[in-house]
Amino acid sequence: MHKIVLSALLALSFSTSLSHAQSAWTGGDDLPTNPLACDATPATPVSKPYDGGEPTNAPDRKGKTLKVVDVPKLVGIGYFNATSKGIADAAKEMGTMDAKTDGPSKANIDDQITLIDNYITSGVDGILFAANDPVAIAPVLKKALAAGINVVGYDANSTPDARQWFVNQAEFNGIAKASIDSMAKEIGEDGAFAIVTSTFTTPNQARWISEMQAYQAKCHPNMKWLETVEAQEDNILSFNQANTLINKYGDDLKGIFGMTSVATPAAAEAVTQAGKCGKVAVVGLATPNAMKPYVNKDCVKSVVLWNPVDLGYAAAYVLRATADGDLKPGSTSVKAGKLGELSVINGSEILLGAPTVFTKDNINDFDF
Amino acid sequence: MAMSVDLPPTRPASAARRPGFLSRLFAEYGQEIVVLAAIVVLFIVVTMVNPRFISANNLTTIFAGNAYIAVAAIGMSMVIVTGNIDVSVGALIGVLATISGTLAVAGYPVWVAWFFPVLVGMAIMGVQGVLVAYARIPSIVVTLGAMSILRGGLISVTGGTWISGLPSEFLLAQQRWFGVPSPIVMMVVLTVLAFLWMRYSAFGRSLYAVGGNPEAALATGIPIERRIVAVFVIHGAFAGLATILFATQLQVIQSTVPPNLELTVITASVIGGVSILGGSGTVIGSTLATILFAAIGSALIFVNVSAYWLRAVIGLLILATVLADMMRRRGKA
Amino acid sequence: MNLKSLIRHETFLALLLVAVLIVLSFQSDRFFTVSNLLNQGRLMTETGLIAIAMTFVIATGGIDLSVGSILGLVAILTGVFWHNVGMPLGLAAVAAIAVGTFAGFVNGLIITRFRVPPLIATLATLALYRGLAEGISQARSVRGYPDWFYVLGQGEVLGVPTQLWILVAAAIIASVILAYTRWGRTVYAIGSNEVASRFSGLSVEKTKLALYTASGFAAAVAAVIFVSRVSTTRSDMGTGIELDAITAVVLGGTSIFGGRGTILGTVIGLCLIQALKNGLSLAGVKGDGTIMLIGAVLILAILASNLFERSGTR
Repeated sequence: MHKIVLSALLALSFSTSLSHAQSAWTGGDDLPTNPLACDATPATPVSKPYDGGEPTNAPDRKGKTLKVVDVPKLVGIGYFNATSKGIADAAKEMGTMDAKTDGPSKANIDDQITLIDNYITSGVDGILFAANDPVAIAPVLKKALAAGINVVGYDANSTPDARQWFVNQAEFNGIAKASIDSMAKEIGEDGAFAIVTSTFTTPNQARWISEMQAYQAKCHPNMKWLETVEAQEDNILSFNQANTLINKYGDDLKGIFGMTSVATPAAAEAVTQAGKCGKVAVVGLATPNAMKPYVNKDCVKSVVLWNPVDLGYAAAYVLRATADGDLKPGSTSVKAGKLGELSVINGSEILLGAPTVFTKDNINDFDF
Repeated sequence: MAMSVDLPPTRPASAARRPGFLSRLFAEYGQEIVVLAAIVVLFIVVTMVNPRFISANNLTTIFAGNAYIAVAAIGMSMVIVTGNIDVSVGALIGVLATISGTLAVAGYPVWVAWFFPVLVGMAIMGVQGVLVAYARIPSIVVTLGAMSILRGGLISVTGGTWISGLPSEFLLAQQRWFGVPSPIVMMVVLTVLAFLWMRYSAFGRSLYAVGGNPEAALATGIPIERRIVAVFVIHGAFAGLATILFATQLQVIQSTVPPNLELTVITASVIGGVSILGGSGTVIGSTLATILFAAIGSALIFVNVSAYWLRAVIGLLILATVLADMMRRRGKA
Repeated sequence: MNLKSLIRHETFLALLLVAVLIVLSFQSDRFFTVSNLLNQGRLMTETGLIAIAMTFVIATGGIDLSVGSILGLVAILTGVFWHNVGMPLGLAAVAAIAVGTFAGFVNGLIITRFRVPPLIATLATLALYRGLAEGISQARSVRGYPDWFYVLGQGEVLGVPTQLWILVAAAIIASVILAYTRWGRTVYAIGSNEVASRFSGLSVEKTKLALYTASGFAAAVAAVIFVSRVSTTRSDMGTGIELDAITAVVLGGTSIFGGRGTILGTVIGLCLIQALKNGLSLAGVKGDGTIMLIGAVLILAILASNLFERSGTR
């Protein structure tokens, strides 16, 4: 009897999964990719008309103190502690912003949506966010806009019409190019690598993996992707998964990508404890504090692709400029405090700037 | 389903006078044997596909990397044997790990950094035990509330900053004792000690009575309330010991609640044969179940099961194990 | 069922709710407004539907931990049936709800036919159904639904959020069934003494099977509402919702050992938790503080209720 029940369930589920095309790299999404040129040719900037949302009847906030809430994907991760610090630094520098960070304790959409909804009701002037899901967060952000609140995103975008501006740390294809090029430099043109990511449903990570696949196929076709494993945002699990990869492939594995600030240090730790420093390269995104032990021992050559503190800092300034009316649809750049002028790309995105690479020479100068 | 108190096996007098040793063993420890057999079969099958599965490094990853779950499951098994449950253990370990790391970085001797959290764990669990035993609040309610308090408290206090700069003497889980990684030694030693204690000490045997037949336990003079508080305190101690392994594996400590840890620990306990109805099951079973799950997780990667279906396969295996256990019990009863 | 002691818990809880509402409305003037309260009703519908079904399940002495996974499974199936298989959206939603109800039925089968204790059975299906959701969806989201679909989760009917009507209707129907029908009394009988119920000729197996199926159905409907509210599908939807529902049910006075519990209690418990989450946030307390307070309220409320009753049952 239970065999029938179980097989019915399985048949039902497998039949529906057959309708999906097989994506080559596990963990990528199915959106179109746009790989950059293989050499150092910069991407041709695409000029698009402004496609962000507009608040309804926003009051004139020029010069007034803004009450701002920052809602990252979750709290309790070094990365978002860094962005939060950046926002706090900017607020203190400006003197005219009251910012607080309040995020869900788990990276799921429901808690984040409820939080934002509560802050809309409480009457904040501005919302900064990093979305757990671009589409799921859109209805509540549109509600914020309709209430006259200024909405600016950073790190993880929503659909463009749900916010006014999005501060982009770097283009997805730019990050993909930098990552793959770094890996190719360390493991060679026909090295094999694996990926440790958080979950397959995290949008940024899925986008990066897709872009990485497209770029690698175009510019380093002899490199070999082995597999992708999930590790949530749990560093012990990331450590165990990285170890399993090292054990499974033995000497065939030359490199590991860490797609989150939790996965990269854990992968570096696994490589260190397996005694494979120098034999297995670790490339990925991470905060300097988590990586200092490994970079200082030469186990990891270079780390992180941008400065999260600057990201938060820029986002706060962009929000201020938006609320003051200095940054409006059609602007081509915005002044962001000590970061200078940041340019507008893709219609309603602000580009943070060139990636920051942490190496042995400079990693000890940072504390986040 | 009749509930009975499992009596510990008495010394076998003569093999001819009672059913064979093996069939008694199977009747007594059926579920543990099934899990052990599953582990052996798994290792054989996967090694045929990829011999690196039983390489020393991978065995270390499987056993040592998950030993903390097995140690936590020892305490959880004891709680479940008495007919209670605890969903706050994951949050507790997160809190204790943060305390441990903070002490270590602040320069306290490593002994303090290791064992002070054990005391804290015992205290926190002791409070919960008192609420369950004396205030008569169901354990799921108390531990659900405690989980929320601990989780929120952890974020409030730490803001989620990672703890780095741990002194190398602190990293106990990376040490090797007698050539074997320390987590494995701790896991095995604690399991055996706990098993022997539960089987052969009056206190341990009384726990089975409390869970299996509380009226009879009361009638024989077992102080049920004190036992329940005691078992929660012991569970807190094991959570603290598990924290030592958990917090000293890497060079950084993530001061967050490890996701789903309580579910993993509970699943290991019940799959290992501890009955949620109270009254039977051993800690050997929960340790074996932890190993089985860790091995399955690794095995599925080794045999290239599509990463998208990983969780479904594990779920299916859990369900199959549960059904198989119930069929076996029904055959026995 | 002790009517006197039952009424006392619900009364106590209702008084607590009123007290909380009063305190919170002093902390922020935006709390006790019609639009905010209606909005909170919208946000608590998914947990509410599951909690209502969970009341029945817990009243029989059982539990269902797999509701969150069923929600995730039904959510992605809605998208998959519509987008990949090509069904019209209404039919896709109905088919997905059917699968979710079937998942609840399977839970019931495992518990009644195979006699697996509900905690273990639903712990196993929690893992299985979540895994199925991830596998079938291949971690893809389905978005871009037609506008009419969003009326369910984001729209209003006669000025009240659409899903709130569904919640209220479900609560009324459920409380009638539980309190006034023979079926409802069977539920209490099973919870109080399952063996005696069986010997009295009550159809214990059929009732339990129906309850777990209903629990799956509630989670499935909640899933469709959720998809409509957030306009996308994700395989991790509903993670943790089982604990929220159980908290509301237990807070509402349903005994985890079975034999006691009312829908009214569950609804009051639900409102209390939602009021705390919202009111505390408006008062400036951050998410972590809110979680702690809710945990404390849960323990203290049951403690206080136990002290009032002075009954000695474990």
